[in-house]
Amino acid sequence: MKKYRVLLSSLLLSMTSLYAISTGTYDDPLYGTAMLNAIPKYFAFGEVFTYLQREWFWKGFLIALFLVPVAGSIHYMIIGPKVFSHDGKKIFAFGLFMRIMHNLAALSFLVLVPTGFVMAFGDFFGGGTFVRVCKNLHGIATPVFAITVLPMIIAWIRDMIFNMDDVKWMMIVGGYLSKEKKPIPAGKFNAGQKAWFWIAMPGGILMILTGALMFFLNINLSPVATLFGVSQIDLLRISAIIHNVLGMVVATFFMVHVYMAAIAIKGAIHSMITGYKEEEEVAILHSSWYRKLKEEGKV
Amino acid sequence: MENINSRLKFYCDADRCIECFACVVACQNAHELPVGIARRKVVTLNDGVEGKETSISIACMHCSDAPCSQVCPVDCFYIREDGIVLHDKEKCIGCGYCLYACPFGAPQFPKDGVFGAKGAMDKCTMCAGGPLETNSEIERHTYGQNRISEGKVPVCAAMCSTNALMIGTSEKVSELYRTRVLARGESKEANNSYLWNVAYNKQSRKGLTQ
Ligand code: HEM
Ligand code: SF4
Ligand code: SF4
Ligand code: SF4
Repeated sequence: MKKYRVLLSSLLLSMTSLYAISTGTYDDPLYGTAMLNAIPKYFAFGEVFTYLQREWFWKGFLIALFLVPVAGSIHYMIIGPKVFSHDGKKIFAFGLFMRIMHNLAALSFLVLVPTGFVMAFGDFFGGGTFVRVCKNLHGIATPVFAITVLPMIIAWIRDMIFNMDDVKWMMIVGGYLSKEKKPIPAGKFNAGQKAWFWIAMPGGILMILTGALMFFLNINLSPVATLFGVSQIDLLRISAIIHNVLGMVVATFFMVHVYMAAIAIKGAIHSMITGYKEEEEVAILHSSWYRKLKEEGKV
Repeated sequence: MENINSRLKFYCDADRCIECFACVVACQNAHELPVGIARRKVVTLNDGVEGKETSISIACMHCSDAPCSQVCPVDCFYIREDGIVLHDKEKCIGCGYCLYACPFGAPQFPKDGVFGAKGAMDKCTMCAGGPLETNSEIERHTYGQNRISEGKVPVCAAMCSTNALMIGTSEKVSELYRTRVLARGESKEANNSYLWNVAYNKQSRKGLTQ
């Protein structure tokens, strides 16, 4: 009888410990032994993240928020937009599939960037439901953006390699500092567009990856962590640092892109809706491409 | 908070902890925490290595400089007079920043938002509830029991069968621990707790050597 009682109680005991192990996140890849072993290394990424988030990120986002609207307004008032004839011939630039991809990406960015700012200034909005909804929208917009990245890279990467035209373009800041209509050295994409491509595409992938790490938090990432030779908590800290810093850059370039397409070059946005660019606009702003099209007899 | 030694602190005597998980289960049960959330964890280092095996019960340390409160984008933390670090779950957006800033991995996140997004952060409250009306049903539901307001010891420490897990003002706890170490008669110094050594070691945490 005693034997059975001992057996029964030890069975019960082992079950309670099983319960503890199964619910106590016992050797969770994030919270378990790995976290304890990461405590002595806190001064590296832990302290750096704390310092940056406390002292610098909100200042960076504040600059990112106002830089382009202020600079854009000044540019608009002093120099003004470029206006090209919309009655001339049109040049076909973007196929239907690429237009859909680009506009899906644009839509997702119109969600990602404002909601990102709302989260970064969460205390300004008092936290709670509104900021939480923004966080969830930010997460939902991510897969939409993710779908469009590879098609855009594959379709455009050849046209995005920097060349001598871009050096000349940079020297005259794309001719945007004057209203003169002088042919500007640029292929299908100018240096500014190329810069945006390299920030938004490889940068966008990095934003997706770092965002996904923060979203999934404690799924088992030990292979990734081992690859980089850091603990999972440090991986998350690095992700948060990259996501914030790169987020400022991406948000700034995004606003520049919107300003150029929707305001500074009147009607340029139509090329991503209909697929056609104005011939005069191409001849001036993309003169190398225009010359090439002429040589090929396409215009 | 002039006297830093009057802050409430936990201390896990690693020489006494027998890795029984009672504190973990007691906490989960008393506060009816969702599955997957453990405000307190027991972690064993060097498992099975004779003479080197150490088990520690770890939860929020209620830091005096509380890094979590420095990074929260919605500023939802508050630190009580007695040093207990609490936060407002109605403001919290579940961004995870407090976890990245925390040296001890205390903040945890139920996956209850849309598509399994992180919900409002949950961590050890030192059994002191939250900003809602003290001992109201809604406080109990949101933050768990408020035992401190009733003058009770936090349930994890109350449950500890070996009294490894101690809680009290830092003065009281260190006095108790010093007595123990002396009584053991070992040549160990009074700062031989593994966790406190790594946590409050000058090298590893500059700001926190009090
Ligand atoms: C390429 C575009 C971007 C992608 C794909 C992206 C993706 C993500 C994802 C998946 C998360 C995790 C969401 C969650 O945990 O529920 C996140 C978090 C965050 N993102 Fe972005 N993001 C992008 C751009 C931005 C920008 C431009 C900003 C700032 C203006 C920003 C600010 C933030 C902040 C503050 C968080 C932390 C809060 C959190 O983890 O929920 N993001 N991002
Ligand atoms: S959550 Fe972490 S950083 Fe904040 S008080 Fe607790 S142990 Fe300290
Ligand atoms: S998860 Fe909640 S408590 Fe933690 S930093 Fe984010 S908003 Fe603040
Ligand atoms: S003090 Fe209370 S909330 Fe904190 S670990 Fe112990 S039982 Fe859980």
